[in-house]
This record gives sequence, structure tokens and C-alpha cells, in this order.
Amino acid sequence: MKLVLLLWIMGVIYAVLYIVPPAEGLGELVRIAFFHIPVAWVSVLAFLLSAGWSIQYLRTRDIQYDWKSSAAASLGLLFCLLATISGAIFAKLTWGAYWNWDPRQTSIFILLLIYGAYLVLRSSIQEEKERARISAVYALLSFLTVPFLVFIIPRFYFSLHPEPVINSGGKLEMDTIMIYVLLAAVGACTALFWQCFSYMVHNKQKSA
Amino acid sequence: MKKRHGIGIGIIALFIIFSAVSFKSSLTPYVTFAKAKTMSGSVQVRGVLISERVIMTEDKKAITFKLQDENGQEALIVYKGTKPDGIEEATSIVAIGKYQNDQFIAEKLLVKCPSKYQSVQGSVNK
Repeated sequence: MKLVLLLWIMGVIYAVLYIVPPAEGLGELVRIAFFHIPVAWVSVLAFLLSAGWSIQYLRTRDIQYDWKSSAAASLGLLFCLLATISGAIFAKLTWGAYWNWDPRQTSIFILLLIYGAYLVLRSSIQEEKERARISAVYALLSFLTVPFLVFIIPRFYFSLHPEPVINSGGKLEMDTIMIYVLLAAVGACTALFWQCFSYMVHNKQKSA
Repeated sequence: MKKRHGIGIGIIALFIIFSAVSFKSSLTPYVTFAKAKTMSGSVQVRGVLISERVIMTEDKKAITFKLQDENGQEALIVYKGTKPDGIEEATSIVAIGKYQNDQFIAEKLLVKCPSKYQSVQGSVNK
């Protein structure tokens, strides 16, 4: 399984570097998108999963769900950070500045703060059940902001950020070859996330 | 209990919408020329290029072009620096700077490129 994932990731890297054609306007810079879009997608997915397992925890009070929820939220924060950094580099190369407090950047910054606070909150509570309960509620509430911060605000205000691949017009303005590579990259990134996630949860189960 | 949760979530959602509307100015740094004229500090104006070309000034120390903001107001932008890549193809331009003598003196220019994720016609590498 790990070997398949490794080969897959290497295949995607090869495809991004050598198969993807330079894009109109973006040129060679388009290659960053194949990192930037998948990590951003995974971070939203991780936050969603974290909220889902929080609900499960609150319903069943099974500590396993707390481990899952917190692992997903921490990884989500990590991928969100990667999306922010790759985005800043992308911005420097296309717009001309690393950071401009563009609505897209402001909203992702708020998201980083919200989930950063989640980790701080967790580390400040000693008692296991108390920590699980409070962080489940917090993770659930945090996720409510995700649709606004990720999907609504950047579409509501003018942003230097390009239209998302799945844009308001519902058109897919992407070459067929790029779509395939992007899907493969999203798949690889999601699988990598899942691998890290399983590892973290498994560790918790062993130490418990 | 379920109903109470629904109401709670509704209140939070309303609060988020309220914050998004009331913090509009903090969420977006971009203003119009009309607003820029009234402000003394450095501001960010976004607009579209309406000059046919981006030209150099006579002393060749700056570039200048006309920008039209979202309200349709135009202004002459003067930017002392090298011409950013792709400025003529940009779908939007953000000029950071301030108004001085009916000109907008930009310290920095940001360009929004049309990102179409389409390969270059004929696919010739630059």
C-alpha cells in the first residue's frame, strides 16, 4: 500500500514536471497549481472529517472519535498551511507580492488562526473526557466558518486569486491533460493525507 | 434539544454573515479612485487597463497607463519601476500608492493574470 502510494506520488510529480504543458498566460508557473489545489482540497476535506467525527464523539462519547477528529484537524491545519505558503509563492510569481491581504489571503489566515486555536485549546485541557468534549464542540463550530471563508468570501469580493477550477459559470476551463493530472494529484494528496491520518490514529490506539 | 441546536447554528451562521458584511473594509483592501482621493495614506486601487499600451514616460524612469476602476472612473497611473510581466494581458490591475496632482503615483503594481489552465497554442516553450 505504501509502495503504491509512493509510486503514485512519483508518477504525479513526473507528470506535473514533464507532461503538463505550459499554460497560456501562466506559462511554466501553472505547475505550482498541481500542488496548491490538492493541498487546499485536502485541508477542507480534513476539516469536514474532523467535524463529522466530532458529531460522532458527542453522540457516542467513544474516545476513538476524539482521536480521529483531532488527527484530522491537525492534518487539516498542516495542509492549510501548505496551501497558504504555496499560494504566497504563487502570488509572488503571478501578482507580484507574497502577501497583500487579498480577501483570499485574509480568509485563509483567519482559518489558520481558528484551527491553530483548536490545537491550543486541546493542549490546555488535561482531563481526557473534558478535552474530547470541548474540542469536539469547538471543531464543529469551527467547521461552520469553512464554507464562508473558503467558498463564499473569495467569490463575494474581488480577489486577485484566479477563479477556482470549478467556477461560478460551471465551466471547466482546463485542458483535458491537465484535468487528468490534477485529478491524479488530488487523489495522491488525499491518499497521503489518509496514510498520515491512519498512522496518527493507530499510534493513539497503541499507546492507549 | 435538536431544535435548540438548529437555532444555535442558525445564530452562528447569521453572526458570520453579519461579520462578513460589517468587516467588508478589512476583508478587502481594494478601493475606488473616488475613495483614494480622499485618503492621505497609501491605498490599493483595483481596475482594468484601458490604455492601448503601457508607455514609458519621457525620461524613461517610469511607466504610465490609464486605469478604470469598478465605478468607471479613470485615472492616470505613474509607476517608477520596471513593467510587470503580463500587465497588458492582465484582467485586473491593482495599483498601490496615492493620489498626487491628479495622478496616481504607484509604489507597487499587482497584476491578475487570466488563468485559464489552457496549454499555449502550438505548445512552444518560451
